[in-house]
Amino acid sequence: MLCSLCLNFSCQTDEEIKRQKYITEGILLYRTHCANCHQTDGKGLQALYPPIAGSDYLAQKDSVIHLIRYGQQGPIVVNGKRYNRPMPANKQLSDLEIAEIVTYIYHQWGNEKTLTSVADVKKVFPAR
Amino acid sequence: MILFFLVTACQSTDKLPILGNREAVVRNVNGLPVTDSVYHTIRDFAFISQYGDTVTNHTLDGKIYVADFFFTTCPTICPKMKTQLKRVYDEFRGNNRVVLLSHTIDPARDSVAVLREFADNLGVKDRQWLFVTGDRDTLYEIGEKSYMVTAQADSTAPGGLIHSGAFILVDAQKHIRGIYDGTTVDGVDKLMVDIKKLVDEK
Repeated sequence: MLCSLCLNFSCQTDEEIKRQKYITEGILLYRTHCANCHQTDGKGLQALYPPIAGSDYLAQKDSVIHLIRYGQQGPIVVNGKRYNRPMPANKQLSDLEIAEIVTYIYHQWGNEKTLTSVADVKKVFPAR
Repeated sequence: MILFFLVTACQSTDKLPILGNREAVVRNVNGLPVTDSVYHTIRDFAFISQYGDTVTNHTLDGKIYVADFFFTTCPTICPKMKTQLKRVYDEFRGNNRVVLLSHTIDPARDSVAVLREFADNLGVKDRQWLFVTGDRDTLYEIGEKSYMVTAQADSTAPGGLIHSGAFILVDAQKHIRGIYDGTTVDGVDKLMVDIKKLVDEK
């Protein structure tokens, strides 16, 4: 058991191991901070809360990162549908935590195989 | 086969309790004292629905209903509660004995128009799920005194208000028959089982 675990890990690059860690943390953070509205399966709720799964909004990763920290007021269009509920800010989340959430979201619903780094998050918030 | 009978036998005696304080009231019948239990009952109310009309306790006469407290901009438990209550709505849609009654605790922001948009966006376009607003203190009071749940302003809470995540099941006689955790799948599964029991109750 231990051996197969070792073998498994040895096949992975350091970068991939790091990404898996981000995904694991990201799942927990997503369930705590996002899933209330966007649901565990990422499908959102009716016309109240937009989906993340299959969302065309994922194409704008910088906006997604900004949105997680500062929230959103006013209407937003996702997959051609208009949503108009305020999204609360999550200013308590660190750059690392946002990177973990975004890595999870893009792994799960954005078909992404690379990690979103803390540096990727930092460059969205140049003033900080 | 025997098991089947046993199971049905259990269900027939498995009546939901009436919750809340009860008082013994003595009255005279043909000169003899007779003691009755008076159960905790939802008091009379009058609120405004998402369609702009008045909803009173009489609107719900003869109905089984589920009450809850929320506000449309709530960032914490309300989305979970509404996700779960939508399951109940979908399950009992078209059953004219079952009604859902969601009270806003933020009437300053949750006007009739705001509630209408919220209901629309949730996919509710009929009168089986009513979203009501009214005087703030009256809403808080009916929450605490009649439905036995917390609802009040608290500037330290996210969104500025605190309230219970409970769903309260009320029978046709305005008695509370169950209180459920409206934020969990398990709590609401149990609620749906109990609604069916009440519908079948003679």
